[in-house]
Amino acid sequence: MKIGIPVWNGFVSSVFDFAHQLLVVDVQDRQETNRLEVSLEQQPGPQRVAKLVDLGVDVLLCGAVSRPLASVLAASNIEVIPFVSGPVDEVLNAYLNGRLAEPRFLQPGCWPGARRRFCRGWGRGRGHGWRGGRR
Amino acid sequence: MPDKSDKIRDVILDSISEGVFTVDLDFRITSFNRAAEEITKIPRDKALGQQCKDILRADICEAGCALRQTIDTGKPIINKPVHIVDAAGNRRAISICTALLRDANGRVIGGVETFLDMTTVEELRKEIEASWRCEDILSQSHRMLELFKILPTIAESSSTVLIEGESGTGKELFARAIHSLSLRKDKPFVAVSCGAIPETLLESELFGYKAGAFTDAKKDKPGRFALAEGGTVFLDEIGDISPAVQVRLLRVLQERVYEPLGGIEPVKADVRIVAATNRDLSQLITEGKFRQDLFYRINVVKLKLPPLRERREDIPLLVEHFIARFNRLRNKAITGVTDEVLASLLAHDYPGNVRELENTIEHCFVLCPAGIIETRHLPPGFRTSVSADFSKEAGPTNLEQMEKILIADALRRNNGNRAAAARELGIHKSTLFRKIKALGMKAKQ
Repeated sequence: MKIGIPVWNGFVSSVFDFAHQLLVVDVQDRQETNRLEVSLEQQPGPQRVAKLVDLGVDVLLCGAVSRPLASVLAASNIEVIPFVSGPVDEVLNAYLNGRLAEPRFLQPGCWPGARRRFCRGWGRGRGHGWRGGRR
Repeated sequence: MPDKSDKIRDVILDSISEGVFTVDLDFRITSFNRAAEEITKIPRDKALGQQCKDILRADICEAGCALRQTIDTGKPIINKPVHIVDAAGNRRAISICTALLRDANGRVIGGVETFLDMTTVEELRKEIEASWRCEDILSQSHRMLELFKILPTIAESSSTVLIEGESGTGKELFARAIHSLSLRKDKPFVAVSCGAIPETLLESELFGYKAGAFTDAKKDKPGRFALAEGGTVFLDEIGDISPAVQVRLLRVLQERVYEPLGGIEPVKADVRIVAATNRDLSQLITEGKFRQDLFYRINVVKLKLPPLRERREDIPLLVEHFIARFNRLRNKAITGVTDEVLASLLAHDYPGNVRELENTIEHCFVLCPAGIIETRHLPPGFRTSVSADFSKEAGPTNLEQMEKILIADALRRNNGNRAAAARELGIHKSTLFRKIKALGMKAKQ
């Protein structure tokens, strides 16, 4: 499974729409096997999603995301966990261990239904170990 | 517990219609007013203490934070247009200003950012811009806007169209617009530059040939008319075609059939012809270089495109358009041109029309690494022509002087008729009168 995280200075980028760098992490059996960073600079929304599809990203952990872009991501069958904030490695670790629902990883100001609508399994995994979806 | 001065500060900030927030030196939000809550859709209690990038969520937060620039340099930033994503997931256009925040001793303790929701303004701007655009053509000149109005009607008909205009005025863009707006839009659009193809090859290029038509013609080759079947053929520089091709073209237009070279069976042609020329076809007829009957066949609907020097009001709009385009293509962030550069661009006569203006902006992009395009980035011809024009005037080059020159030019072209000059300049005649008076111009200018 591949996890995409828009990053900036070691933190999850605050808005996926405007992020410049994307970290792509390969995960197998909850263990990171490989990671690479790619540029998203100057790419409008749909091209960003196309890049994610090309890279084979299954899950996107990101900060805020606009509704139109969230819809394109959903239509591209990419699982989105939006409004995530914090240092990248801690966020990744929390996701792999089902602890991403902790308040410290929550970006303030999440549009109603955003997480319910775009992340299958969100909430069910709260504090109960791995609920990362596809492997 | 907030003290009394904090409460007073909050009341004052809440009474402001612009969004306002302040940050400390770690970029954590220390105050957040009501308008900021409304624009970002994030309540004050959730915003306070958070990193401003997680609350404002603007496109500049990571690569070019305005507050960071102000805190680093001490210089305020005024009216910078940016985009944000609010907590409801909407993208909004805002305009921001930043300034330093100092304590009673003058020590910098953070920054303040004010921002104005520009969504409505942006929507109105887009609406206005949409009225200046027809397919890929951009103009706010009244002459072009009249063409935009009739273009859909012309496109819907199946009539042959003749587009006249100097080189670089956008004849092919108009031809493409006619095709895109027509019922043939899903079929091919085939452009043929008649002047660029050797006379001997043009016939086979247009109508194709059969195997064995000449040495090396080993198999059939479809011509441009066959490739455009059901669609549109754009014949550019039609004034340059030879008499032999003119005869064959006349047959296509009259009978809607043609014969490929070496063919014996006539082939039906279901294509619409849009022809264009930068030459005076009537003159060519007089000189015996162009068939009169062909002229009448192609001159069913005629569009005459004005040269750029006759629609100078489009220059700022086109400059902005080309800058945005080259920014995308060259991955740059040029913000615009200086007043002097705009004055130079407005003063030029553009024998190469819009193409020349586009090439000029491209030249500036090569020489200007970032920021704003200045006079030194212009091609040498522009710099000298402007300095020559302005050598007549005392004082520095500025927009006022440019206005004076443009108004004088328009009046001269229209024999002093102010109403006609105002029409040409795209302004109301009372505006022109006011400008003439304000600029201290004499009536006969």
